[in-house]
Amino acid sequence: MENLINELKLKVIDALNLDGMTPEDIEDNAPLFGDEGLGLDSIDVLELIVLLEKNYGIRLASPAQGKEVFQSVAVMADYVAKNRAK
Amino acid sequence: MKQVSIPSGASLTALYREWVGDYPKFFKMDTLSKLGFLLTEMLVHDEPDRFTFREDRAVLVFSREGCIANDRHYAESMQDFPSPALFVYTLPNIVSGEISIRNKWGGESSAFVLESYDEARIWALVRQAFQDKCTQSALVAWMDCKSDTEWVTNAWLVDKTDML
Repeated sequence: MENLINELKLKVIDALNLDGMTPEDIEDNAPLFGDEGLGLDSIDVLELIVLLEKNYGIRLASPAQGKEVFQSVAVMADYVAKNRAK
Repeated sequence: MKQVSIPSGASLTALYREWVGDYPKFFKMDTLSKLGFLLTEMLVHDEPDRFTFREDRAVLVFSREGCIANDRHYAESMQDFPSPALFVYTLPNIVSGEISIRNKWGGESSAFVLESYDEARIWALVRQAFQDKCTQSALVAWMDCKSDTEWVTNAWLVDKTDML
């Protein structure tokens, strides 16, 4: 799981063009959205949905579902591990 | 009036870690917004009541290239999947918004794209901003960003008394 978490951090940084950010800047359980965490917003949900589909063959039913899946990198990793098609 | 600049090609991430460090939204910004954000931090970091909402400070940013560096990145992303994260920075006035949001400044917020650096025109527009009854100070910046590593910047924190 630790490897998947780190892999996801790198993919999130790449997908969202977080230029200059490193995986160490993202805490496993920190919220991805809102001022308390990484500061992502609804626009970024679309990028993360594409990330899951392209890299893991996971198609989310709606952006609303993304709110649950993208709570933190750790939650994302858990969801990917359970639902990945590739 | 206070003035700062950021040398072309400087590491903006290093400056962020030196001057700020706790505003992760910085990493999402395009280079133009990062420059405006950092220049502002350098000018106002030691102000008292830093994040108290105020309407008496204007933000006026000027450039020649606008947000062309990010526009190019967005155009490249269209070859695959047009990136929403890049799309939101395809307006040259986003930088003034980022500055206003960060600092809780609710005053005039404007971005001007000029044909060239025109000092007389810039300061005429700044003087105009002080014509209302509210504005007491202004963050003024010339930020010409050709690419992620090439830019010319100058930013000033201007008080109304400087304009008299």
